[in-house]
Amino acid sequence: MDRIELQKDSVFIDKFETTLEKEGPFSPWELFQMTYQAELTTMAPSFEGLKSLDYLPHMEFLDHQISCANQVIEEMNGRAILADEVGLGKTIEAGLILKEYMLRGLVKKVLILVPASLVNQWAKELNEKFYIPAITHRKNYSWDQTEVMITSIDTAKRSPHREHILDIDYDFILIDEAHKLKNHKTKNFAFVRSLKKKYCLLLTATPVQNRLVEIFNLVSILKPGHLGDYGSFLEQYGKDRKKIKQDKYLKQLIQKVMIRNTRQNTDFDNIKRKIETIWIDFKKEEKDVYSHLQSVTEVFPTFSKITLLRELCSSREACFLSLQKMVTNQENEHVIKPITDKIEQLPQHVKAEKAVEVIKQLGKEKVIIFTEYRATQLYLQWYLKENDITSVPFRGGFKKGKKDWMKQLFENHAQVLIATEAGGEGINLQFCNHLINYDLPWNPMRLEQRIGRIHRYGQQNDVHIYNLAIRGTVEEHIMTLLYEKINLFEQVIGHLDSILAELNINDIESEIQTIFSESTSTGEARIKLDNLSSIIKLTHDQTELKEEQYGN
Amino acid sequence: MAIKNLHDFLESYFTANHCEFVHNKDGVLTVQLTEDMDRALMNRPFYWHYIKKIGNPGDPLQLTLITNPEKRDEKGEWIHFGSPRLQQILNKLKQEEIYTKLFERIDTNRKTSLFPWLVVNIKISYQGKQKRDEIFSIGLHLINGSMKTDMMELLGEKSLQMTISDYCYTISPIIRLKSGFTRIESVLESYIHNQTHDWAEVSIKTMEEEIQLLTHFYSSKDDEENTQQEMDKEIGEIKKRYNPRITFNVINGGIFYLAENAIS
Repeated sequence: MDRIELQKDSVFIDKFETTLEKEGPFSPWELFQMTYQAELTTMAPSFEGLKSLDYLPHMEFLDHQISCANQVIEEMNGRAILADEVGLGKTIEAGLILKEYMLRGLVKKVLILVPASLVNQWAKELNEKFYIPAITHRKNYSWDQTEVMITSIDTAKRSPHREHILDIDYDFILIDEAHKLKNHKTKNFAFVRSLKKKYCLLLTATPVQNRLVEIFNLVSILKPGHLGDYGSFLEQYGKDRKKIKQDKYLKQLIQKVMIRNTRQNTDFDNIKRKIETIWIDFKKEEKDVYSHLQSVTEVFPTFSKITLLRELCSSREACFLSLQKMVTNQENEHVIKPITDKIEQLPQHVKAEKAVEVIKQLGKEKVIIFTEYRATQLYLQWYLKENDITSVPFRGGFKKGKKDWMKQLFENHAQVLIATEAGGEGINLQFCNHLINYDLPWNPMRLEQRIGRIHRYGQQNDVHIYNLAIRGTVEEHIMTLLYEKINLFEQVIGHLDSILAELNINDIESEIQTIFSESTSTGEARIKLDNLSSIIKLTHDQTELKEEQYGN
Repeated sequence: MAIKNLHDFLESYFTANHCEFVHNKDGVLTVQLTEDMDRALMNRPFYWHYIKKIGNPGDPLQLTLITNPEKRDEKGEWIHFGSPRLQQILNKLKQEEIYTKLFERIDTNRKTSLFPWLVVNIKISYQGKQKRDEIFSIGLHLINGSMKTDMMELLGEKSLQMTISDYCYTISPIIRLKSGFTRIESVLESYIHNQTHDWAEVSIKTMEEEIQLLTHFYSSKDDEENTQQEMDKEIGEIKKRYNPRITFNVINGGIFYLAENAIS
C-alpha cells in the first residue's frame, strides 16, 4: 500500500463552498441523480474485459479481433506489434484497443502516424466505426489542442511539427506500415524512438522481411531490452531469419509482444476464393506481330524484349508506346518501324473483348480490373465506354482526395474500376467481389495485394477472380509454371514473403526476367522457371510443417 | 442505479431541461429543443451569434432520437451507449450538474425542522497495468456525525425539491462542511488501507522487470551520446504506465435538508 500513490480530490469541496456562498447555481434533483447514473453507467467496474464492445453495437467483430484486443491490453500492457496478414482487419483491432483505453480514461492524447495515402481512410474508419474523434492534420492545426491527430510520419518529423510533437507526452501512439521502421539507422526510426509515449501499437503485415534484426528494431521501439541488446542479438541470431523458426525461446519472446493472425488460423475462411483462368487465343494478326517481335534479335536488349512481349499481351497501345520510345536512330528505326506499322493495323485487342464479355455476363455486378500498364488502362477506359460500360480509373499517383473521390464514384455510380498496380496499397473495396487480372504481375506478393483489396475484413460474399492469359505467349509460362504450380490463387500466400526471403530472393520479378533473358530458347526458360516454382513449393511445404510443430 | 432504460433516461433528461416532445412512440423520440439546449447540443454557435445580432429570437431545432435498434433506419439519430450524442449528453451532465442544495418535501401545518446532510458521490479509480473504478455514495449527518453508504439509493425514495416546504425550517450544521468532507475522505482511505492490493503488486513487479531489461539494454550501448537521456525517458514511460495509483474523484455532491429520522 505504501507504494501506491493516492490522489485525492482537492477541488470539489472548495468550489462547493463558493457555490453555497453565492447561493447557486444548484442542480435540480433529477439532473443531479442522472449525473450519478451517468457515472455508474460509464465506469469500468473490472480490470478485465472489453467495455468498448457495449459501446459499438453497430460493429460485428471477428473472434480473432476481439481476442487480439484483449491480449494486447491484458497481457501485453498496451505495447504490441499487430502483424496480421493483409486484410484481416489490423485497423479494426487497433481501433478497438484505442477505444477501450479511451473509455477507461487511460488515454487522451493520441498520435496516429500512417502513410500519407491512408490518412483520410484512417480518420474515416476511426470516426465512423469507433466514434473516435480523430482529426487529420492540416496546415496550422495545433498539435497541443487536438486530442487524436492523424498524420504521416513525413509531416510529423519535419520542422516545426517535429519540435511540437516531441514536446508532447502522448498516451497512445500508433504507427501503420511499421515495417518501414525496420532499419535503426534511419531518421524515421530515431524520430519514433524519441517520441514520448505510454501505449504504442505498431502495425505491419510483414514484421520480418529479410533479416531477423528487423524485428529486433521494431521490438526496441516498444520494449527495449526485451530481446536483449543489439550486439548479443546480432551475435546469436545473426542475419539469418530462419532462426526465428528454429529457436523456440526466441519465438516465445517475440510472441509476447507480437500478434500475428493468418487466414489459416482465423475463421475468416468462410469466404471462398473462386478462381477462373480464362485462356484466350491471339487473333491471327496479333499472333503475327507477336512472332515478329519475338524473332527480332538485334536492337533490343533481351530485358526490354520480354517487356514488349508482355505489353503486347496486354494492349496494342502499351507495346506501341514503348516501341516508339526506343526509336533513337535510323538504324533501329528500320527494325522498329515495320513492327509499329503492323501494330497500327491491329484490330481491338482480343483480351479487351474477352474482358467486356466477362463483365457483361456479370450483369450489374461491380468489377475491378487490374492491369500493369497505364496505356492499357486508358485503352480499356475508352473501350469499355464504347461498349456502354461505365468505369473509373485508379492510380497510385492520384492525390488523396482524388483517390477517395474515385472510390466513391465506383461505389455509387460506375460499374468498373480500372486500377494500375501502384493503386493497390491501402484502398478497401469490400463492396466489390469480382476482380479481373487483366495481366498478371510477376511478383506473387503484388498479386496478393491486388486480391487483398476485396478479399478482406468486411467482405460478405465469395470473391471471384478471373485471370486472363493468352495461350502460346510468355503469359502462359507465368501462369502455368509459376502461379498454378505453387497454387498461389487457392491457398493464400501467407508465407510467400518469408519463403522468398529465406531463399534469398529479393526481387522475384527480376529473377524471372533474368530467367527469360538469359535463356537461349523457350524450352530452357521453361525448365528454369519450373525449377524456381518447385523450390518455392518445397520451401512452402516445409514451413507449413514447422508451423504445425510450433503452433502460432 | 446505472441507466437501464435509455429511452426513459432521455425522456427525463429532456423534461428536466424543459423541452417538449413532439413525438414519442415505439422508441422514436422527437424533441423540441429550447434555446439553451440547442446551444448546448446542436453545435451551431454562428447561427445563434448571427440571429441575436439581428435581434431575432431564433428558432431552436427539433431533435429526433431513436432508441429502438429495429427502427434505426428511420429518419433521426440512432442513439445507444456508444453514440456520440449520448456521450455528449452524459458529458454535459458530468460537467454541469455537480453542486446542489435540496430540501425534503413535507406536507405539514406544524413547524418541522430539517436536518443537514452532506452527500458526496465519489469515484475511486485503481490504476495499475489496467484500471478499475468503484463508486460510493456517502451521506454525513452534519449534526450528529452519523454516516451512511448507498445514500443515493436511500434518497431515491424521497421527494426532493429546490425550495423549502411551508412550515419547515433548517437546523444549522454543527460540523463544518470542510471537516465533514475530510471525515468522508478518511473513511474511504481506511477502506482502501484495509484491502489487499494484488493488482498493485503485479504492476510493480512488471515495472521492475521492465526497468531491469531496459537497464541491461542500455548498459551495452555506452558508446552513444544520448544514452542516458534516452534511458531516463524510457524509464519515465515505464513508470507512468505501471506505477500504481488510486484517485478519488468527486462526481457530485450537495447539502440535503431532510426530516428527522428520514434516513435510518
